Amino acid sequence: MDKVEDKRNKVFGGKYFDRWWIMVLAVVGLILLLIFARPDPYQRIFLFVREGIWTTVYITCVSFVLVLFFGLFVALGRLSKSTIVRGVSTVYVEVIRGIPMLVQLIFWYFAFPSVMQQLGHAFNIQSMIEYRANAVTMAILGLTVGYSAYMSEVYRAGIQSISRGQMEAARSLGMTYFQAMRYVILPQAIRVILPPVGNEFITLLKDSSLVSVVAVADMTRRGREFMAANFIPIQTWIMVALLYLVLTLLAARAVTWLERKMKMEKSS
Amino acid sequence: MTPIIHIKDVHKQFGAVQALKGVSLDVNRGEVVVIIGPSGSGKSTLLRCINRLEEFNSGQILVDEIPLDSAENINTVRTEVGMVFQQFNLFPHLSVVDNITLAQKIVRKRSAPEAEKVARELLVKVGIPEKADYFPGQLSGGQQQRVAIARALAMNPKIMLFDEPTSALDPEMIQEVLDVMMNLAKEGMTMVVVSHEIGFAKAAADRVILMDGGLIIEEAPPEELFTHPKEERTKAFLSKVL
Repeated sequence: MDKVEDKRNKVFGGKYFDRWWIMVLAVVGLILLLIFARPDPYQRIFLFVREGIWTTVYITCVSFVLVLFFGLFVALGRLSKSTIVRGVSTVYVEVIRGIPMLVQLIFWYFAFPSVMQQLGHAFNIQSMIEYRANAVTMAILGLTVGYSAYMSEVYRAGIQSISRGQMEAARSLGMTYFQAMRYVILPQAIRVILPPVGNEFITLLKDSSLVSVVAVADMTRRGREFMAANFIPIQTWIMVALLYLVLTLLAARAVTWLERKMKMEKSS
Repeated sequence: MTPIIHIKDVHKQFGAVQALKGVSLDVNRGEVVVIIGPSGSGKSTLLRCINRLEEFNSGQILVDEIPLDSAENINTVRTEVGMVFQQFNLFPHLSVVDNITLAQKIVRKRSAPEAEKVARELLVKVGIPEKADYFPGQLSGGQQQRVAIARALAMNPKIMLFDEPTSALDPEMIQEVLDVMMNLAKEGMTMVVVSHEIGFAKAAADRVILMDGGLIIEEAPPEELFTHPKEERTKAFLSKVL
């Protein structure tokens, strides 16, 4: 039966794979066409927004790595036997999920430094009085705190989908809770959660455009600056939208590739 | 001789249900104890209390004179007590040999070649050396359960607990698992077995225990309990299963 399935993956899976790469190439081609066929304004827009591409990718990737890490901790907290740990993690998830991402980012950049400074005055701590927010740091902090709440739910669902007997078998062999998680539960859960985790990554990539309101020069911010200086909104936002599309399509390809790889490992 | 398992007046409450209502039991080294009884009688719960997969509300359990009171002691006890489950609970993402070597490596700190040597020897012992590199999903139920027994034995336990090891198996696979258990019993392993296999109890048990309603109703050597039960409830249960 395994052999039949492998064959089908090759025939249909192969075509499926190519078709989506064609989509990526089409978007890249369209961008190049615009740049070379109409260098004014498209090349100018591209060159101006280009610096923001790196910022967007950087902020997204750094935040995502942190989210993968903290999300797991929060998920383990929500599954903890201790009422206090479980309570704290649950309140965190519910509060964060109930506040818009944009409001959270604004809080971290504009309100949080003020809170630090006032605490510094209250307790007379010089380093806190002189605290100044770094836009990129605050953006990463905000995205991490916000997305870890969502990610923890993805992890939790994945961990809970593994039968209780797996944990019991591991513990009965003398493994500690964390060893059982590391070697038995998470390797199985990761296969279940990979598609929703990939989804979170793509959503985070798009939501990173929100950091443009807190003085981070990402793609969106660069687009707005260009529009304000040149008054050509249509062309500017077509270019920015196409650039986002290339990134999200590439990310989606990466997720599919990982899923396939894990499936193949499992069936081998 | 001090008993290797000492259970004294153990109570266990599941919400409103009292699963164990004061159970006391001593198991000696090398003894094979088979626990029978209707479902919901608390026999699996009692077994799971011995390695603390289930916490109990009051009473005391000593395993090899170690009390089950701190996390450290519980882990020490768990490395000495092997357990075999009704649903096998093999790790589906690992090959048969990796299932058997995982805990050896991370709990017993054995080197990979050493652990693998132990694993392959045990697979010979349970009669499926040729399945070493298969995944659990590719094996029959009987084969999976034999791997599970090998996995537990790889930790060199002093005691083996069996929680209805043949209940999830197709009838034609029950015997191959019972044969492995029978050999273990002959080798002098201390075993506590929750099972409905009366044939196994007759052939291998030193003592049979009948539980009902969270209490031990009767305990006796198998020939005595199966032929001359003293308690009415034992008679009623045996009339249904024999």
